[in-house]
Amino acid sequence: MSSVLQQASVTAPSTGSTREIALTGVAKTYPLKRGASVTALAGIDLEIADGEFVALLGPSGCGKSTVLRIVAGLEQPSTGTVSVGGASPQALSKAHRLGVAFQEHSLLPWLTVRQNITLPYKVAGRPVDTAHVRELIDLVGLGGFEDARPKHLSGGMRQRASIARALVLDPDVLLLDEPFGALDAVTRRRMNKELARIWAELRITTLLVTHDVDEAVLLADRVVVMTGRPGRIRHIEGIDLPLREHTELTRSPEFHEIVDRLTGMLETTKAA
Amino acid sequence: MSSRLRTAVYGVAGVVVLLVIAQIIGTTGLLGPTWPPITEVAAFLFDPSNHRLLGNALAATVSEAALGGLIGIVAGIGFALIAALLPLLAPGLDRFAALIDAVPAIALAPFLILVFGREGTPVIIVALSVTFIIYISTSSGLDSAGRPYRDLFSVLGARRAVRLGRVDVPAALPKLFDGLTLAAPAMILGATIGEWFGARRGLGVLFVSAMQNYRIELLWSAAVLAVLCSLIVYGAALLAQRAVVRRFA
Ligand SMILES: Nc1ncnc2c1ncn2[C@@H]1O[C@H](COP(=O)(O)OP(=O)(O)OP(=O)(O)O)[C@@H](O)[C@H]1O
Ligand SMILES: [Mg+2]
Repeated sequence: MSSVLQQASVTAPSTGSTREIALTGVAKTYPLKRGASVTALAGIDLEIADGEFVALLGPSGCGKSTVLRIVAGLEQPSTGTVSVGGASPQALSKAHRLGVAFQEHSLLPWLTVRQNITLPYKVAGRPVDTAHVRELIDLVGLGGFEDARPKHLSGGMRQRASIARALVLDPDVLLLDEPFGALDAVTRRRMNKELARIWAELRITTLLVTHDVDEAVLLADRVVVMTGRPGRIRHIEGIDLPLREHTELTRSPEFHEIVDRLTGMLETTKAA
Repeated sequence: MSSRLRTAVYGVAGVVVLLVIAQIIGTTGLLGPTWPPITEVAAFLFDPSNHRLLGNALAATVSEAALGGLIGIVAGIGFALIAALLPLLAPGLDRFAALIDAVPAIALAPFLILVFGREGTPVIIVALSVTFIIYISTSSGLDSAGRPYRDLFSVLGARRAVRLGRVDVPAALPKLFDGLTLAAPAMILGATIGEWFGARRGLGVLFVSAMQNYRIELLWSAAVLAVLCSLIVYGAALLAQRAVVRRFA
């Protein structure tokens, strides 16, 4: 398995450029019918350092996906600025340096799993690294399903395929919108572990949206808790747990203290 | 499977009932002498001495329909791709297509005959109507890929032409083939009507001369052949459309 990581670091030599994400005073309002509008985000200030892993927690509809879409350059902030590595988000995607796994899987229905995962190479006009693709397929546990079409896969398998697609070009910035939402607890922890391992090796600047507090605390350097209507940052928790095996970590009192506190914060947020 | 069998049985039964009713109308003379018994039409169709006449006409009409259809399909897809790649031109192309479609072929006929001649006119009439149908269906198909796919291609940093080739075109295929099933009957119809304006051969020519000479069986035989042709082309287009939907939707 470690060959994936070696290969990845060979095919993606560090550009030396910084890859930090900065959102400054970002607000987003969506126009609705008859002149009405909805404020999805208000006053978001968030900096994600080069190589940092940040998890975004918050109740449904609080604007987590909107933050992610703004960082991906798919939405323009109504006010405020967003930059990735000192440039616009679009510059990053034009350079094929951005990996995104969307909340809806968005696999192309007429392509097989393997063809979907190799799509980023085709779009970037690069030769397909078949060995790398093969190893990513094994990594997300889709070995044996390479030639299946998405409609013949379960929701969780589709999500895993789209994670593999997001990783295939060894991006500088990785954006994951509830990528493990449709997975059972066991597969979810296994995928968490694999992601943590890839991530420890490549140190991709990562923004992960999730509803799973355990997952956020396990994976992230910092956890951002949002409140809704309009979406604001309520709390930022720096996670400074000793490096340990995941299962061991989840049993430790320090881990539980943080998880309980963040969960409590989410519950009062929902009640508000 | 059994429900499909049942639909097929109902379909065949429906056709048989219609044929029986038509036969009864013909033998009783209920609708006058221009409605012959179906058996007489069949006898005319199967009489070998008529095969050269019918065969020549059929071949002429089918080849005009095929050529005009091909031109129409290529032109319709081509214009739709141009409109997709150059959005500035799209409103103009839409309006031009609507204008062409709004002008009835009959009104255009004198002009078409002047420009394309009597033999070329059926081909052009087919091409015009097929171009319109395929242009509309392909354009709406090229627009049908959902937002998740557009988002995906924009974060992958795809240029417009790349997105067109890898998402918009495959996603458009089901609608394009829908358009083909609509265009299929229009091809035979357009060729037949086009032949009314003085072509030398074809089912349309048979229609005109059979009417003028009061040859009722010939008229009906030509009509039966035109309908059968339409149905065959339609059936082929429908099969292709189903296969495409299974693969691309
Ligand atoms: N395109 C849009 N047009 C109008 N309103 C939108 C649009 N996209 C999002 N919104 C609104 O913005 C708010 C935040 O939506 P967003 O999708 O970011 O929430 P979320 O935190 O990702 O929720 P979930 O956890 O359910 O995915 C919601 O109130 C939603 O109705
Ligand atoms: Mg969301």
